[in-house]
Order: sequence, then structure tokens, then C-alpha cells
Amino acid sequence: MDIYFFLGKGGTGKTTVSASFSVGLSYYNKNKNFLIASLDPAHNLGDAFNIELSNKIKKLTENLSAVEVDLEKMIKEYLNDLSKNLKNTYKYLTSFNLERYFDVLRYSPGIEENAVLESIKKFLNMNEFDALIFDTPPTGITTRVLALPKLTLMWTKRLMDIRRKILDRRKMVENVKGKTEAIIEDEVITLTADEKEDQIMIELVSYSKEMEDLMKLFQSDLTKINIVTMPEDLALFETKRIIELLNKFKIKVNKIYLNKYLIFDNPPEVIKGKIIEQDRVIEKMREEIKNINIKDIPLLSQSPRGIEDLLKFYDNYILE
Amino acid sequence: MGLREVSTSLIEKELEETENIFALLTMGSFAGIPSPPTGIILRILPYMKREVYVMIARSKNLDDNLAEIAGIFSIE
Repeated sequence: MDIYFFLGKGGTGKTTVSASFSVGLSYYNKNKNFLIASLDPAHNLGDAFNIELSNKIKKLTENLSAVEVDLEKMIKEYLNDLSKNLKNTYKYLTSFNLERYFDVLRYSPGIEENAVLESIKKFLNMNEFDALIFDTPPTGITTRVLALPKLTLMWTKRLMDIRRKILDRRKMVENVKGKTEAIIEDEVITLTADEKEDQIMIELVSYSKEMEDLMKLFQSDLTKINIVTMPEDLALFETKRIIELLNKFKIKVNKIYLNKYLIFDNPPEVIKGKIIEQDRVIEKMREEIKNINIKDIPLLSQSPRGIEDLLKFYDNYILE
Repeated sequence: MGLREVSTSLIEKELEETENIFALLTMGSFAGIPSPPTGIILRILPYMKREVYVMIARSKNLDDNLAEIAGIFSIE
């Protein structure tokens, strides 16, 4: 399965480029099934297609479907389930007033990135599609999401080491004194020293396996990271930052779409400065980013809206 | 105290400390310590009953620490 991510600064045209990419790809590969998913909390994928989209996958053409992931709803549902489960397990917590901790989990740092990663995982496991195209939230969140599997792996590895040490010592004590027991709120619990029975260890192992698979997938050639940018200084800085940051996590950038490129035969006086900036940025970009293919897309008088327009846009500017 | 008992109690102490470290790392946000990625915590939280208990017991007995260490090394 191929996975395409479209990253970039806000307003560079990620949605238009990714939507057009999905339309073109599905049009020229009729034997394959495609899904485009917007992971941006501020959705506008539906606007690009001129079709109302929702949290439910909708078929746009014979072999292209689209969805706008409702992260807020996803987090809520997930935490509700978890919270019910927790409040059953941790009955005694009410006496410590700790249950409030679980109610604020919604606001814990990283929960959004986690939800984005979970929804990517969900689409990967669907097996219905041959390729996934993701229109992503602003750079900050997306780069962290892509880096999350590796980061999580570092933690699970460490926690598994400690857990193993605990179980190891428990085993030693068990050999001398018999099974370890603990009394929690008048309830006697027998503690296991076996890795295969310790629920925490089981979860750590399975989670770390999931994360390792994701990390390998993101680092592989199946994942194609595309940056959509504009010929402006700030956008160039951000593009370079994305490349560097992803590089640290061994994730390669596949292509850069240089969007909203101004073309004038006789530029009016007021935007001459802008054109000078543009030419300088483009020159700098080609100089500094050597091994990534850069594709130019000029600023159009009208943004493409609807499947027909998007296909034309693909034919004219994205198709190679 | 027999040698066997002393060495077992040392291992027990090490076990207890390791459990503290695990609890502190995974639930350190209670005390303002940076946490692992949220995904890990959400995954193991349903099974952390005993860890919560360890944390609470630990904070209750904090002022006993010196006596505990003295006990391990048989200082009277």
C-alpha cells in the first residue's frame, strides 16, 4: 500500500494539491482503489471537491473515496471508553479524588498527535484501499506525528527494561518466599512474575510492535512525503525545517510542490518587489535543496474546485 | 538474620525501588515529571492499579525513608 502525505505551512495549498493528486491518481489507475483523508481539524477538503464530506467515508468516483476525520469526536469517544473502564478498575480512586485526573486526560499534551496517529493506523488496517492520501494539519503537528513512532519506541524499550527488571526480582523473591501478594483496598492480589502474564508487559510489547511497524513504514519507500510550499522566505525556512526534522527520524521527503508561483510578462510596479523575492527564494531553494524534485505550480486566476477542475489541474501541473 | 534472609530482603528492596521508578516514570505527571508519549500511558493505564497504589503508599511513607535505609543496613 502506498501512502502519500502532503505537508506544509498553512495557506500554501496543501488541500488543493492533495485533492487534485488523488483525483488524477485515481483517474489514471482505474484498477486501484484510493482514499483521501483530511487530518486537519480545520477541514476544507470538502470545499476543494465542492462536496459535503464528513467523518464517514464517502465514495466520490468509482475508485476514489474521501473522509474528513473528526479528531475531536475521536478523542472524546476513545477517552469515554477508557474512562468507563478505568473507573471500574480504580473504584478506590474516588476516595483520593484522583478520578479528576482522568477527566483532564483530554487536555494532556500529545493527545492530538496520538489521535492523528491512531486514525492513520485505522485507515492502514482497513485493507480496502491500495493507496492512502493524507491532507495534513499544520506542520507542527504533522512532523510530530511522523516522529511519534520512533519516539514512542525509545520509551517503550526503556519501560520494558524496567518492567523486566521488576518481574525478574519478583521471580527471585518468589523462589524463596512463594508468590508475592499485595493488598489493595482489602483485596488480596497475587502478583505475577511471568512476562507472558503481566498485563503491563503484554501491552508494552504489543504497543511497541505496532510502533515499530509504523516507524518502518514511514521510513520505507512506500511512504511518500510531499511538501507544498510557496516562493516566500518564511515558507522556504519551514520547508527546510521539515526536511531536517524528518531527516533526524530517517524519513525522506519525496517531492516539493512550489505553489502559487507568480508569472507576469509585464509585472505592475506594486508587485515588482514580490517578484524579486520570489526569484531569490526559488534560486535559493534550488541551491539548498538538491536531491529532492521541485515541481512548480503557478498562481492561478481561479482555484480549482470540483473533480473536473481538479483533474485538469492534475494534468496541467502535477502529472509528470 | 540468616544470609538467605538478608539477601532476599535486599532483592525485595531493589524490587520495591524499581517499582517506584516505573510508577514515577509512567505517572510522574502527578508530580510534574515529563511523561512518556500519551499513547503508551493510555495503553497501559487500565492495568496500572497496583502502580497507583505504589505511588500513593510511597508518598505516604516518604518521611520513613531514612528509617527504612537504616533498617536495610541493620543500623540501630
